[in-house]
Amino acid sequence: MSSINQILDSTPLLWKGRQASHGQRALPSGHASLDSHLPGRGWPLGALSELISTNPGLGEFRLLFPVLASLGSQGQWVILVDPPWIPYPPALQGQGLLLERLLLVRTRGGRESLWACEQALRNGRGGAVLAWPEQIGFARLRRLQMAAESSAKLAFLFRPESASQESSPAALRLQLKPGGCHGTLIHILKCRGGCPPEPVRIPQPFSTIGNPRQHIEHHAPSTENIIPATLAGHPLSTVVPGPPVPGAKLH
Amino acid sequence: MEHDRPAERQALERLAAWCYQYSSQVCIPGDRNGLFLEAGASERLFGPPDRLCKRLEQELGQLGYQAMAGSAPTPEAAWLGAREGLHIPLPGQVRQQLGPLPLSLLHLDAAQQAALERMGFRQLRDLLRLPHKALTRRFGPALPDYLDRVLGIRPDPRAMYHPPESFSSRLELPAEIHSCQGLLFPLNRLLEELCGVLRGGDTAVQLLLIGIGHEDHEDSLVKLGLQSPTQDAGRLMAVLRERLERLRLPQAVREIRLEAPTLLRFNAGQHSLFRDTPAEQRQDIEHLAERLQARLGNGSVTGLTGVEDHRPEYSWRPRALDERPDCTGLPHRPTWLLPNPRRCTIGSYEILAGPERIESGWWDGHDCRRDYYIVRDSDGCTLWAFREYKPHRGWYLHGIFA
Repeated sequence: MSSINQILDSTPLLWKGRQASHGQRALPSGHASLDSHLPGRGWPLGALSELISTNPGLGEFRLLFPVLASLGSQGQWVILVDPPWIPYPPALQGQGLLLERLLLVRTRGGRESLWACEQALRNGRGGAVLAWPEQIGFARLRRLQMAAESSAKLAFLFRPESASQESSPAALRLQLKPGGCHGTLIHILKCRGGCPPEPVRIPQPFSTIGNPRQHIEHHAPSTENIIPATLAGHPLSTVVPGPPVPGAKLH
Repeated sequence: MEHDRPAERQALERLAAWCYQYSSQVCIPGDRNGLFLEAGASERLFGPPDRLCKRLEQELGQLGYQAMAGSAPTPEAAWLGAREGLHIPLPGQVRQQLGPLPLSLLHLDAAQQAALERMGFRQLRDLLRLPHKALTRRFGPALPDYLDRVLGIRPDPRAMYHPPESFSSRLELPAEIHSCQGLLFPLNRLLEELCGVLRGGDTAVQLLLIGIGHEDHEDSLVKLGLQSPTQDAGRLMAVLRERLERLRLPQAVREIRLEAPTLLRFNAGQHSLFRDTPAEQRQDIEHLAERLQARLGNGSVTGLTGVEDHRPEYSWRPRALDERPDCTGLPHRPTWLLPNPRRCTIGSYEILAGPERIESGWWDGHDCRRDYYIVRDSDGCTLWAFREYKPHRGWYLHGIFA
């Protein structure tokens, strides 16, 4: 009996007479600590979710692996619009994403990128669209959200830190910050139904203790604290982009 | 204005192919501007002949043709009926319904017409009263043969038209068009004609060639490719609209041409209620990809796949949507690869795991010897860096575990 309810709950295309308490259809994110704070217990369907990160590499994309993998296995597609780097197939495949149902869209940026994002959101039903808009205003965000609503899609926008100061119609806004030894901290800036005051803690990958010269172990998200084994510390800002390594492939 | 006979003939052939939706036996008589369709076999599908005639007149009107249709048990009688909009359901009624028609409507040559008028014949029924022998003696065997065929006494077999393997159509514009938006309406007409032909022959197109003729300039050519064959005018129009956004017209347009070089077999496929079967999701994605590529250019929408190579920058490539991906998942690889490895100072990072030696590529001149490490920077970002020994020494960032 409970499994039937689960099946009925999981498909967004079925209207049920008495909606869940929040009235927000959502897909579970796969992170229990995050889901417990979100209305509908997951990523909002048919609405925008903004992921604001101080720096790339805090785990903003990794948050989505469980839900993207489950979409693929249900026959639904994941569309990436103008990601700033190269999505690396062996890593995506290793995390359970179905390459067969992954679409990569490259535009010349700016308005074309937003147009492509809106087209992807309006198309068909179900699935997810992920975009990295360079600059986007409130009105455009609202249009994207309405487009997502029309097709019951998951829509994820990755935005820079400055976006946290701007207002946005997105249904869900998360900001990721480094938490040092606590892993990555996720502050829920906005969600339908009120935000919890404390941030959610997500452990970082590859937390390991000891000799950095070990061979690579099988990675598992670990809640152990990291014992820093830093070498002489220089902040990241001193990294200077150098000339390309000869032979490195331009995508 | 002169008659452009070859163009008229071509138009008739296209219309014959278009009429194939409504009848499997279509004939183009060589001697007049019209078509014969056999309507009895599809009566259950399209209703009685007069309903079919009304529908044909209406739809041809939307395509830009003025048509008159009529029906009768024999082709020649139907032709006469068409001039007056008559519908004669039974053979026995032919004589009665067509009798009052003036002789000028008959399909006779001018000399015979004149001779008959001089003799005082005015209506078809006058002719039908005369004995055969008399008519043969005065006018030769052709005239009584014609009358027999009208009445159905003689059989009237016709050479059937066979639809061609390709479609080609052109439209001369009544006024010059200066903007791409203005081309949408005439192109839509041509597309509707094409789709009628496709429906009639159970065929579909995957490639369209559109020629745009200018007065003093070379023709502009637009190629429209689709991800899968289609019969759907709406889908073709959606892709065309995006493609025209990209088009620059060097001059005003006087003529447009539409060509479908190959007509493919068409499989309709099943539709489900929610459009959520994987096959339909795939179709939706194909339609999206077509529209995006029409506007953004080919190659703007791709999938991804792996390549057998140890060097990370060579171990992936974009793939076309109809190609199957083939990639081994690797657990310790970053989600994102930087397009070019970036120099970095390893002192600013904390090493989490490594080294993983990648040494490869001696065969194509881009060989490398690198030790890869998973590192974390002071801001808590997890990155993928390597120490290169060959060809250039140094530390570089190559990926981000976002």
